[in-house]
Amino acid sequence: MDAWLEFARGPLFRLSFGVMMLGLLRVLLLDLYGAWEAYRRAGDKTLPWGYIIRRTLVWFFPINKVFKGRPFYSICSILFHIGLILVPVLLFAHIQLWESGVGISWPALPKPVADWLTISTIVFALALFIGRSFSRTSSFLSRKQDYLWPLLLLLPFVTGYVCANMSVGASTYQVTMLIHILSAELIFVLLPFTKIAHCILLPFSQFVSCVAWRFPADTDDAVCTTLNKKGAPV
Amino acid sequence: MRTNQISAEQREKAFVSARKPEVMEKQKLDVRYHVEDFDVNDRPRRFLEAFAAILKHSNYRVALDHFIRVSAKCSRCATTCQVYQATGDPKDIPCYRSELLLSVYRRHFTMGGMLRGRVAGTGHLTDEKVQEMADSFYDCTACRRCNHECPSGIDHGLITHLGRYILSEIGIAPRALVVSTREQLEGASGNTSAIPVPALIDTLEFLSEDMLEEKHVNIAFPLDVEGSEFVFFPAVSDFLMEAETLMGIAAVFTATGDSWTTGTGYFDGINYGLFYSDRILERVVKKIDNETRRLKGKKVLIGECGHASRSAKQFLPIYCGGDKALPVINIMEYTHKVWKEGRLKLDPNVITEKVAYHDPCNIARQGWIIDKPRELLKAFCKDYVELTPNGEDAVCCGGGGGTVSIDEIRPYRTMVGGKVKADQIRESGCKILVAPCANCKKQLKELVEDQKIDCEVAGLHDLIYKAIIFDDSLKVSPDEKQTGEEE
Ligand code: HEM
Ligand code: SF4
Ligand code: SF4
Repeated sequence: MDAWLEFARGPLFRLSFGVMMLGLLRVLLLDLYGAWEAYRRAGDKTLPWGYIIRRTLVWFFPINKVFKGRPFYSICSILFHIGLILVPVLLFAHIQLWESGVGISWPALPKPVADWLTISTIVFALALFIGRSFSRTSSFLSRKQDYLWPLLLLLPFVTGYVCANMSVGASTYQVTMLIHILSAELIFVLLPFTKIAHCILLPFSQFVSCVAWRFPADTDDAVCTTLNKKGAPV
Repeated sequence: MRTNQISAEQREKAFVSARKPEVMEKQKLDVRYHVEDFDVNDRPRRFLEAFAAILKHSNYRVALDHFIRVSAKCSRCATTCQVYQATGDPKDIPCYRSELLLSVYRRHFTMGGMLRGRVAGTGHLTDEKVQEMADSFYDCTACRRCNHECPSGIDHGLITHLGRYILSEIGIAPRALVVSTREQLEGASGNTSAIPVPALIDTLEFLSEDMLEEKHVNIAFPLDVEGSEFVFFPAVSDFLMEAETLMGIAAVFTATGDSWTTGTGYFDGINYGLFYSDRILERVVKKIDNETRRLKGKKVLIGECGHASRSAKQFLPIYCGGDKALPVINIMEYTHKVWKEGRLKLDPNVITEKVAYHDPCNIARQGWIIDKPRELLKAFCKDYVELTPNGEDAVCCGGGGGTVSIDEIRPYRTMVGGKVKADQIRESGCKILVAPCANCKKQLKELVEDQKIDCEVAGLHDLIYKAIIFDDSLKVSPDEKQTGEEE
């Protein structure tokens, strides 16, 4: 068991974390490269920066958006994200691991806060899952990954909470910890290749849309030629 | 659940090849609004071919790549789409509509999709899917309201726009739009309403006589005056249907004395390319540019028309010279400016009814012109109310995206697309609804009629015409009238 845990904590962690980082970097670079290519070809190179920035910032502070569409769901989503991002990054135990591994550290959340955030993340992940299953509109749109992600994200949070707060036998502890680590690593690996890539791409949505609306000049001719339609009537 | 009166069967009939004999027969049907010039078989292959060609020569790819990665399927957008709100049909959820095209892109134009297709052998484009897109993309009014509520920033307006463009390349486009565009680009009159120049001149002289009668002022529509500050392009249908708006605009220019002109070479602001094909969009924009340059005009002035304004404002720089392109302004910007400068006087006692302002999607959605018409209206209308929501979040009239020109689907527009707008108008209790857009006006007039709302629809300049006060120096005495000829 110890060997398994060692393996999961060591090489497997480095591998999955690396996959996540490189994967995210890849989608980010592809996105920005695509935007650059488009911008280079655009007939009009002025971009409505004010509009883009305003529309992007609206979603970073979604206060006035929350109550417009699906308020209950939106609030769940925001609270879910807060715990989801803060807890793994700012947990004392995680920071300790970073310190012993690579020698860097940063301030941690006080334990009660981390515990409550963990619980809230679990609750809101469940709420999102249930909300999705019972909403006529969401369930109509949902793909498999949309249901699976909240459930998958539950795993490390539940197991983490168990390990940190419950007195369980040594072997149970080890199994739970192993699940904790492996599920987190699975998340790392899947993250860049699924919709969770949004965690790095979202800030560019408005920018990318605006660039796409900046068409290249003189495409009438080019498209006609490619489609063999030159001189065809309207 | 659709309250739409077009049955599935009728819809089916709408998509048939225009050249086959059995199709000629079917053209006598009541509902048939798409043209299809090619063999109906083989549509998926041709769709993909057109898609590929368009991707090659456009900038859509970056947006599609982005959208397929981030779409969260949260369905917030459902709460904003007036079509979905009216039908309750989940197939009208914006994200579902967009996914129709995004799934084709994912499957046929990304590495992952192609690999998955190889392995599983499924998910390729079928004729049913082409048909579903053809239906769905014309149910959407391309109002882009949903974009504001999508936390992932997915631009459904862009996707609808692209989807229609691809469909048009395989011959699927609303007949009404294609016929008008054909006249505009290849016909003798060169405009979408097929108005010959002599008829135009007659109409304008007639309007000037009318105005002389009513206002005792010589109000002219200068034609072909080289070197004017503004070259004017209204929605050409205004010459037939919205004369009051044109009279208001001419009156403003008469009051200020600024130089403006209408070119007899080309005088149509309408650009249906924005609704179904970028290629058409480009050709029409270039006609506007050519005419303005022919007349050595300094600025392109677009009349009260949302899509005409946006297609010129946004696409003239793209197709005609980037930062060296001619400036484009909308007539409301001009009128607001001269009013601010004190060169336009309006009588606050003429309009006493309750007035509300409707924001055309193409003018307000991206925050272009929102406050200016309101300031003007509040200055001379005693009783002004707002529709809520408004401004950037305004609800579409229900006839956006060119659908208003398709008379065959009027029941759909007024019962489904415009339902939310109708409720909004009713709630505001306004008696005059100001809509500075030829499309919106036509749709809203039909809407208040079909939904039995007691409300008049007018242009901004219709009201300005009623309230404008001319300088005494411009007034013509009765005996001068005989000689007060127009050029
Ligand atoms: C740093 C930035 C992030 C931002 C700005 C962000 C933003 C968003 C937005 C706007 C949505 C969709 C709409 C909504 O549910 O309200 C969403 C959904 C979601 N996000 Fe994030 N996110 C971030 C990071 C993450 C991370 C790191 C994960 C997971 C590892 C994650 C997991 C999810 C999941 C599972 C959903 C779908 C929830 C559901 O509807 O079931 N997010 N996120
Ligand atoms: S709001 Fe955006 S992400 Fe959510 S379902 Fe609609 S399109 Fe998809
Ligand atoms: S653009 Fe308008 S009509 Fe089309 S899906 Fe969005 S909200 Fe609905």
